[in-house]
Amino acid sequence: MEIRPARPAARLGLPALALFVSAVAGCGGEAAPKEDSLKLGAYSVVREVFHDGIIPAFSKHWKEKTGREPVFEESYNASGAQARSISSGFDADVAALSHSGDMELLVKAGKVAPTWKDGPYKGILTNSLVVVGHREGNPKGIKDWSDLARPGVGVLYPDPKTSGGARWNINAIYGSAFLDAKAKDAANPDLGPVRDLLAKVQANVVNMDQSGRQSMANFSKSQNGDAVVTYENELLLRAKEGDPIPYVVPPATLLIESPVAIVGPSVEKHGNKALVDAFVEFLTSAEAQKIFVEFGFRPVNPEARDAVTGRPEPAKVFTTDDLGGWAKLEEELYSTNGLWTTIAAQAVQNRGK
Amino acid sequence: MSPDPAPGADPAPEGMTLARAGDLPLKGRDEPSSWGRRLLIAAVLIWFAALILIPGAALVRQAFAKGWQPLASALAEPAVRRAFVMSLGITLVATVVNTVFGIAMALVLVRQRFFGRTLIDGVVDMPFAVSPIVAGLMLIVLYGPDSPVGGWLESRGFQVIYALPGMVLATMFVTVPFVVRELVPILRELGEEYEQAAHTLGAGRWRTFWSVTLPSIRWGVAYGVTLTVARCLGEFGAVLVVSGNVIGHTQTATLYIAEGIDSFHPEGAYAASLVLAAASFLLLVGMDLVRHRLEGAREVEP
Amino acid sequence: MEAGTAARRRARPELALRGASLTYLGVMVVLPMLAMAWQAFRPGPAAFWAAVTEPYAWHALKLTFVTAFIMVFVGAVTGTATAWVLVRYEFPGRNLVNALIDLPFAVPTVVTGVMLVALYGPQSVVGAIMGKAGWKVIYDQPGIILALLFVTYPFVIRSVQPVLLSLDRAEEEAAATLGAGPWTTFFRITLPTLWPSILTGSALSFSRALGEYGSVVMVAGNQPLLTKTAPIYIFGEIESGNRHGALAVSAVLLGSSLLILVALNALQRRGEVRDVA
Repeated sequence: MEIRPARPAARLGLPALALFVSAVAGCGGEAAPKEDSLKLGAYSVVREVFHDGIIPAFSKHWKEKTGREPVFEESYNASGAQARSISSGFDADVAALSHSGDMELLVKAGKVAPTWKDGPYKGILTNSLVVVGHREGNPKGIKDWSDLARPGVGVLYPDPKTSGGARWNINAIYGSAFLDAKAKDAANPDLGPVRDLLAKVQANVVNMDQSGRQSMANFSKSQNGDAVVTYENELLLRAKEGDPIPYVVPPATLLIESPVAIVGPSVEKHGNKALVDAFVEFLTSAEAQKIFVEFGFRPVNPEARDAVTGRPEPAKVFTTDDLGGWAKLEEELYSTNGLWTTIAAQAVQNRGK
Repeated sequence: MSPDPAPGADPAPEGMTLARAGDLPLKGRDEPSSWGRRLLIAAVLIWFAALILIPGAALVRQAFAKGWQPLASALAEPAVRRAFVMSLGITLVATVVNTVFGIAMALVLVRQRFFGRTLIDGVVDMPFAVSPIVAGLMLIVLYGPDSPVGGWLESRGFQVIYALPGMVLATMFVTVPFVVRELVPILRELGEEYEQAAHTLGAGRWRTFWSVTLPSIRWGVAYGVTLTVARCLGEFGAVLVVSGNVIGHTQTATLYIAEGIDSFHPEGAYAASLVLAAASFLLLVGMDLVRHRLEGAREVEP
Repeated sequence: MEAGTAARRRARPELALRGASLTYLGVMVVLPMLAMAWQAFRPGPAAFWAAVTEPYAWHALKLTFVTAFIMVFVGAVTGTATAWVLVRYEFPGRNLVNALIDLPFAVPTVVTGVMLVALYGPQSVVGAIMGKAGWKVIYDQPGIILALLFVTYPFVIRSVQPVLLSLDRAEEEAAATLGAGPWTTFFRITLPTLWPSILTGSALSFSRALGEYGSVVMVAGNQPLLTKTAPIYIFGEIESGNRHGALAVSAVLLGSSLLILVALNALQRRGEVRDVA
């Protein structure tokens, strides 16, 4: 009797805990042959196109070629979160992320080879444009970035701290004004108007959601705001799914380039190199790129360019390279003393007045 | 709010009120016409409605906005069913472990005097104050594939992070405080007299625990378990960080819901959250019913 | 505790129980927290201080504490009232209310946020009426408090309820017989007994409020220096690669909530000692 109270203590011991855990893990685990299974770690925006378009198409090919059914394990998450997971050991074989900044994190962590940009498409999987969705009939007359700066226009874009999408959006607004300034004086561009535009748009922001998707849900489901800054492919996907949001392409806008790469250590661990290589090669094939187009993206492969029909073309498209590259933008806009960071603070002060 | 000055006026004696099956035991004998009472009830109900009932009703409405179809088709997907199984399994393990631990910890905190007890008492609540994402990150730092412990375990074929064990750990971390917190005030209120009496009468410690302590704290335990289960089912942030969120493998019901909301198919997500909420609801109601059975039986016994 | 000899006789199993529970607590809670503190302080106290006093971080911390305190106050009053009404009074729908109290724990917080925006946001009926009156709830600071009140709703109720249920009403009745009014009876007799459990519930709500993310992020607006709370700041810094800044702020949140909880516990214990005396 006297020693019995120690029993719950023994039950709490770690070995027992491990037993519990492994018991449940055992129930859950299923053994697909590793060489025929592929773990995909992607950002949330490509969920539909991968899940409903690319993966079924590739599986068909793989089955025809090898007679075996490939098993896909898909994980979709915010781009930054996905990059963090993979860099701290999540064993995805293929990483598809929102922007090259996140891919560079994986390079730094030793998960992706520094040569990932060497392919014919510079490691880029899809293109898209930063556009502005508006309400039916465009009551606020939104055509350009400057329209988002007018008083009384409620703007939605997510928080650039948590959303790669938001960085694309803000970079686009910044870039249009910056390139204007640079056109006037290439050596010494006047940043005053750039700052002014960003500050005024920021002051109109209704809510900074954590992801681009939530921003759009906020716009279309909760009916908040007059304009939502987002990717063209996201709006086209909405239309494809029967919930169209009208949009305008500003005269000068940013080309979104989202990268894909193989995560070397994971492939080594799983021993599925043949499958992974075939999959990544398939991604930029004309067939796959046409599927991307069908889901609203713009192709990197010129052979699929004909598939893009009925989309408004902007007068001018610029890239992050035109603005000095992704790393430079990060530093200049979003670091502690960055342009956008300080503007956000300013917007608050103005609001207080 | 006034205790009745003439208790005899109450038409139903307390024992009978307790025995009425399906009811929360009623401890009041106030005059039905008291204005203060009505006002208080009205205020509480309005608050409850604004904060809980209306959002809850909105959830139900949204879930069925397009009829039963999305719910049925969502639940028919194997990946979703698997997500629910995952959630239930994790909940089961975390609840059992944390309940046993919680009872032990509460006993230690209330019945024992030792140095640093006040500090420990505070530490128990810490999991709530940590942002779940930070909690998840710390688990990765400690047990992730690139950490010494995690690397060692992985080399032996046991993956913690980005697999089920890590998700269980994260859930356990988040729900550590519930049972302890429910029990500490009850144990304090209870005092030690009965236990000491049992001990004096020659009962062993184990027997004292089973037949004196546990029966008096069982409703506290029950509440603690309910809260733990509900929180386990709803846990999101910490699990997201450590799970890898692989559809059909390490995706829990809550992660599925978050993904559903993010992918513009919220009907399935709302339906799934309704199922989660309903599960917790049934658990609570079920426990209440059991309690009334037991309490009713106890009333009859003497 | 005059059972000195009894205590000594029981010492060994008690030690085992204590050792086991403390070990579990150590592995489950203390170890991750130490890992966090270590990472937060590793670059040195100066860097830590700089990370915390950075204007964005500092404002986020301040906002989190202020909203949490307001929420705790409102929650303690309404929670005690709800528990009281549920335990003491009979009214239609009582069992339903009792069963639904825990709903906030069962609904994922993301869904909570969506619901609150849908119901009280600027485009909703309620939101429009409040907007006309010049109140902004969603996407402003009151929205944070609203979300926190929702997610912590069960805490106070569920810790007061069992104590109220097991409360011996003889004292209250005696006070009433002696001519004390209902309020006097409540404040002099009932409240002192309930006090520890109200504190417990409030302490839990408070801790939870410091860490709450999912629902707040949907309703707060998340404007830096205005409506960005510490958990949202932390998440943002982690996502944008500033792990140290995030961990430093987490450490402050943790440290201060630990202090508050320990102080509360000491307060409770003082009450306990007074009761015994």
